[in-house]
Amino acid sequence: MRITAFLRNIKGDKAIWGVVALLALFSFLPVYSASSNLVYVVGTGTTMGHLVKHGLLLFLGFGIIYGIHRIPTHFFKGLSIIAMPVVLVLLIYTLAQGTTIDGANASRWIRLPLVGFTFQTSNLAAVVLMIYVARYLTKIKDRQISFKESILPLWVPVALVIALILPANFSTAAILFFMVLVLCFLGGYPLKYLFSMVAAGILALTLFVLTAKAAPDLFPNRVDTWISRVESFWDPADTEADYQIEKAKIAIASGGLVGNGAGKSVMKNFLPQSSSDFIYAIIIEEYGLIGGFALLFFYLLLLFRIVVVANSNQTIFGKLLVVGVGLPIVFQALINMAVAVELFPVTGQTLPLISSGGTSIWMTCLAIGIVLSASRNNGLPEKAREEMDESNPLEVLSGQL
Amino acid sequence: MAITEKNILTRLYVVAACLFLFAIAVGIKLVTIQLVHGDKYKEIAMQRTEKMFTIQPNRGNLYSDDGSLLATSVSRYTIRFDAVTVNGEAFESHVGPLSRALGDLLGKSSEHYENVLRKARANQNRYALIARNLDYSEYMQVKDFPLFREGPYKGGLIVEQKTVREHPLGKIAERSVGYERFDENGYATRVGLEGAFGDYLRGIEGKRLKQRIAKGQWKPIGLNNIVEPKDGYDVVSTIDINIQDIAHHALLGQLEKYKADHGCVIVMETATGEIKAISNLGRTSEGKYYERLNYAIGESHEPGSTFKLMSLVAALEDEVIDTSAVIDTEKGRWRIYDRIVRDSKHGGYGKISVSEAFEVSSNTAFAKIIHNSYKENPEAFVDRLMKMGLHQELGMPIKGEGKPVIRYPGDKGWSGISLAWMSHGYEVSLTPLQTLAFYNAIANNGELLRPRLIKEVKEGYKTIHKFDKEVLDPAICSQKTVDQVKQLLKNVVESERGTGHKLYSPNFSMAGKTGTAQKNYVTKDPDKLRYISTFAGYFPAENPKYSCIVVIHEPDKSVGYYGADVSGPVFKSVAQKIYANNPLIDEVESLQPATGDLETEYERYYAEARKEHNEIPNVKGMSGMDAVSILENLGLEVEVRGNGKVKKQSVPRGTDLKRVKKIVLHLS
Repeated sequence: MRITAFLRNIKGDKAIWGVVALLALFSFLPVYSASSNLVYVVGTGTTMGHLVKHGLLLFLGFGIIYGIHRIPTHFFKGLSIIAMPVVLVLLIYTLAQGTTIDGANASRWIRLPLVGFTFQTSNLAAVVLMIYVARYLTKIKDRQISFKESILPLWVPVALVIALILPANFSTAAILFFMVLVLCFLGGYPLKYLFSMVAAGILALTLFVLTAKAAPDLFPNRVDTWISRVESFWDPADTEADYQIEKAKIAIASGGLVGNGAGKSVMKNFLPQSSSDFIYAIIIEEYGLIGGFALLFFYLLLLFRIVVVANSNQTIFGKLLVVGVGLPIVFQALINMAVAVELFPVTGQTLPLISSGGTSIWMTCLAIGIVLSASRNNGLPEKAREEMDESNPLEVLSGQL
Repeated sequence: MAITEKNILTRLYVVAACLFLFAIAVGIKLVTIQLVHGDKYKEIAMQRTEKMFTIQPNRGNLYSDDGSLLATSVSRYTIRFDAVTVNGEAFESHVGPLSRALGDLLGKSSEHYENVLRKARANQNRYALIARNLDYSEYMQVKDFPLFREGPYKGGLIVEQKTVREHPLGKIAERSVGYERFDENGYATRVGLEGAFGDYLRGIEGKRLKQRIAKGQWKPIGLNNIVEPKDGYDVVSTIDINIQDIAHHALLGQLEKYKADHGCVIVMETATGEIKAISNLGRTSEGKYYERLNYAIGESHEPGSTFKLMSLVAALEDEVIDTSAVIDTEKGRWRIYDRIVRDSKHGGYGKISVSEAFEVSSNTAFAKIIHNSYKENPEAFVDRLMKMGLHQELGMPIKGEGKPVIRYPGDKGWSGISLAWMSHGYEVSLTPLQTLAFYNAIANNGELLRPRLIKEVKEGYKTIHKFDKEVLDPAICSQKTVDQVKQLLKNVVESERGTGHKLYSPNFSMAGKTGTAQKNYVTKDPDKLRYISTFAGYFPAENPKYSCIVVIHEPDKSVGYYGADVSGPVFKSVAQKIYANNPLIDEVESLQPATGDLETEYERYYAEARKEHNEIPNVKGMSGMDAVSILENLGLEVEVRGNGKVKKQSVPRGTDLKRVKKIVLHLS
């Protein structure tokens, strides 16, 4: 029985598997419902087409989880070092495309050859960067390090990745930076250095904004979008930019306790991005507070399991890795929900595993796969090899494969 | 710095706790939106996404008294062409045939349509007008034309349907048929029968809740309508299209002849008060006439001499005068205070009886009768008029009935000369219909009826409401008075000296009263002086069947203005056509006996034909055709001589069939 054999090969935290499978299965409902809007208004494809595409993305996503979770955890150290330059090249390529939406920089995607799917490079970059940072923190775990010393191996790659994401996608860049800081905090990186990095980050952002403001034509950017979104978030009066958020709140309010029922959302027709950025509002409209809280519960369950996995993994790298790639998933989910309930300014963050966000599903799956890999065997056999020299990633890889 | 696993975990718990708090914040905000602002947003959602749509019911039909359609709702189609959606190849290959088909159907040349289509194509016009107001069968044909049959996307066919009210009779009685229109605020303009019976015709609007979906489209919610639309009832009016047609054309001809400003005719059935025809024609600046305003019901004016009937009836009822009493017309001028009452005949009529005064329509005589009889007690005269209901509206369901004016002594405008002037129809005001109602009451032996325009309200074949005659006053005066004035009214036409004698015809009888009222007399400028020519009466003079009034305003004075000349002919024409030339009567008389004969003949033939014959039957007296048919069916050779019925048969009846081969029939 190949299926049972396949199932037997599924390793790692069963709860995470379960939560991820549940979310993925559930995601078909809102995606299918919201796709009617895509078909009717945007005029792309058919509802069945969107459903099949979503199913295909999820299927491949689970393939990624399965494949990744079978890779021994310590491999990721080397992989992150190899992947880092590739990621940087991809980010530069993405940004260099110069795609714009209404004059704002929207170079977030590259088109995958042959398949036709678009691919958001920042998602991959985020995962790779988090692993890279985890690796670095593991490396310095036993030493007292100076700030200067950490600049080149740690902050330069971080700064490069974030700087390349920033012009087109502020929220992803900010969340990634924040996650890096959290990871550094967890990894015992001196707090005083962290604070100076925060200050440096804010300074860099200010410089960027000012440059963009002073010379708007110098390079395409989304500074104006950011400012208006943030302003409309703080502005108590109903601004034109509140359009989306108001629609979302209408959707939430009309959902009530149990919702209008599957597929019966009305606001999906008026909410832009109803199948991705604002899917949480649509879910509440269709499944009510009960559905909304259930979804929240499952993400918190995922958080709990990530903590449990981090707890049980015996290696420092394992712990940091799990936290580094796992927390962003939950964090992103919470941000998405916070946007829908107007707790946070409008961002383009999708709801992991639920939104029909195309390839972002794959990157979530990649992260889940890594977490599962770390949960497989508590890292005990690997602990012995911990002392192994990891400065040459190729050596590590060749030694294992 | 020596990081330990424990260190990491402690910090991790802190971070996880933060995330948990964040999640709680999301949850709280979620509940807040629902509970605190929920109602507000739900209401916004309602406003923006749900809307009650009305479903227009089908308006009922309006029928004439015999069931002919006066007004009905039909669909009209406007055809437009989207020149962009069609692909070039299809356009080029179909534009020729399509243009030819359009040209054949719609009358304009095919080049014209080819031009329109090509121009639309060149200008990327997505909404080019091809044809307007097509009826259903034309629309069905257009839909099947080359290219158009490909539908809206490939063929570029755009069809717009609208429901319009159609009047199969055209301009005839258009104003009386009327319309009902609603402006954007829902205020209605209601005219004529359509307006008056709108409550029946309109039906009940259905309601359907719809939900907005993107692109400004609405989709229905739920299976059923909130309120089912109910189609309007059909209304059968009292209008007789034949009489209406006669009245319309008679009036039109006379208006054109006299270049009058406007005029109206009403024909009413005496016994029932049903209005059989009502025509109102007004003049346009180009001198054409069309159904402009409902003068017959709406326009209250000084009636002039037709009011002498009312004065006379009042005086006779109060027994202040007798028809045989003699009045001195004072050479046609009678001074009362500072004013002079004049007769139309210069020099007056000398000393004449009241009857003669009515026949010749002497103003002075009537002024004297009424003034002298009532000057001590003018209230009595007015009370009498009011008792006859002349100050009251008839209470027609049609909007805009003109108000009658009968002044009471002491009212503003009442003066010492009021009685004298009222006697011959000034200082009072009546609408043509109100005057007619009074004349009809006389014709109907004193019974005053409310004029009626509606007979029945129906839903399909089911009667919803039937309207019977409505008696306003069973007797406005005594039968004696009725008989007296009826005779006088008859004399107006029949008597040589009567003002209406020009209408006299030996073939049929009419009774009525002429009226020639002055209009704009206050200015004293003879150029501005205008006339209102009236003829009111009924026919036949004995046992009246219809009453009729003709009012023509402002005829060209150079052509004529007397009531007998201007309005009288319309009256006569209506009466004559209804009575003397009614083709229906002739037809019925000629057809009926023939049918009877035919049937008996057929029965005989049928009986013979069914019998089984061994012998020659008797065919004498049968029509030649029947006889030949029977005999030939028996296998005989038949020779026919002459036409008509069988007079003689060469082989007598009872002869054995087998011995006969040929028979000769002599017909007469």
